[in-house]
Amino acid sequence: MTVTLGSLSEQTGLAVLDHLERSVSIPVVDGLQAQGDLIVIPYSVIASSVRLWPTAVWTSVPSEGVELLRGAAGGNPHTLVAEPGTCRWTTTMTDADGLAIGAFDASAVVYLLHPEHGATGCAPGTYVVRRQREREGQRARLVAD
Amino acid sequence: MSVRVQREAAEIREEWLGWALSTLPADRTAAEAAISGLYHLIGLDPPRFHWVSSPVTALTTVPPGLRPRPSETIEQVAEWPLPRRLSALMSALSVELDRRFGVAYHPMDRLAHHEIRAPIRLSVINALLTPLRAAHDSPLHMRFAWYDVPCVSKVAHYDALRRLTGLPFTPEQTRQFELWATLARTCGWWWPREDVCVVSERPVAMQTEASVDERAVRLHHPDGPALRYADGWDVHAWHGTQVPPWVITDPTAWRITQEANVEVRRCAIERIGWASYIDQACLRPVASAPDPGNPDSQLHLYDMRKETRVLLAVNGSLERDGRRRRYGLTVPGFLNDPIAAAGWTYGLSAEQYSLLLRRT
Repeated sequence: MTVTLGSLSEQTGLAVLDHLERSVSIPVVDGLQAQGDLIVIPYSVIASSVRLWPTAVWTSVPSEGVELLRGAAGGNPHTLVAEPGTCRWTTTMTDADGLAIGAFDASAVVYLLHPEHGATGCAPGTYVVRRQREREGQRARLVAD
Repeated sequence: MSVRVQREAAEIREEWLGWALSTLPADRTAAEAAISGLYHLIGLDPPRFHWVSSPVTALTTVPPGLRPRPSETIEQVAEWPLPRRLSALMSALSVELDRRFGVAYHPMDRLAHHEIRAPIRLSVINALLTPLRAAHDSPLHMRFAWYDVPCVSKVAHYDALRRLTGLPFTPEQTRQFELWATLARTCGWWWPREDVCVVSERPVAMQTEASVDERAVRLHHPDGPALRYADGWDVHAWHGTQVPPWVITDPTAWRITQEANVEVRRCAIERIGWASYIDQACLRPVASAPDPGNPDSQLHLYDMRKETRVLLAVNGSLERDGRRRRYGLTVPGFLNDPIAAAGWTYGLSAEQYSLLLRRT
């Protein structure tokens, strides 16, 4: 079955803005990809600065998805969507830069869905999800779009 | 928890949040009767009432005929005798009601906390208390304990428990509860002394948006004051951050450059848009490069101020009008390469970021 923005929106019950194309199949990427203020990085690319704990608690991603990050003003979550039984997710990890919000391990294609940014596919593999920061004075602040 | 109960909880929250953020004129008769009722419960006669048009007026003026002792300034309201006694009255009612509903074990209590009490309290802090604290530039740290006592969030919590469980209060509990509930619905903050009680009107205008926790709200108005009282006291706010009026009414590159507070600068720049700001401020371009994973889009790096540069990037997805939004990200000044700067925002090196395959 072809996965489209429309079918993902239906599977998860998450609305997407109506100006986004709903019927085109979603590209699947096996490397780094960014969705707004969130980036998905293959574990192998970033293994030197993050550590997944051997004791990490992994949660199976349900069909309605897992909310990874919610944008400013309460709206617009980035949601990780997978066929049940194909993806697990953990937040127990350490990140030298303090930007990781978690990691997921997918045995089939999984999707990141966002009401404004649409959807994008990740090929099977292990990925780290990080937030974006910017400089504010002498400190860094996390971006929330 | 069933969807029906969740929905009912959300309805109760919206109902009380509506009262917390109300801009209706006070119902002075009802408010005075309820305050007198509470005075009666602690064994006192009704006070004289002194109404003010805003809480700032209450903080900066003294009711006619009153000569407060130095220890009885309004910043120390939490230490006055009456707030302490009224606070104890409310605590005793809370303890009784908690016992009645067996709260520590009741899933409905957790729901009421999470869905109703916490978001309403946060909204009240965001919209009403934080501006009040900011307005009051006293060297003394203003004590806020009293403001939690008559807070709508508590009343809403117990009202929700009563409605969701169907378990009624006793007649005595109802009598006291209704006094607090009436006050939550009929006036702004109040400051009780034995002989005189100062009561504030509510704001006449308030503009809010959903907060990060979408159950709560925060102040935001892109075109004018987000909070305004009848006596002219107003507050400007940009997505929850209180800002000087110029940020909303007349943001210019020059003023942004002069502003010392980095958060205020960011709000003002967001108000005019990063691309316009870079134009207006004539920022010096440092370098440009194609954005990996974002076809036909360039990353532009500019000098902004000492030790800070700004990266102007293009959104990966279309806006409703078919255009792509440009946005700025501030980065450390030692970054000379736009790719390295974009990588830094995600904690990646230029090499790692250049592997980006797709941006949506």
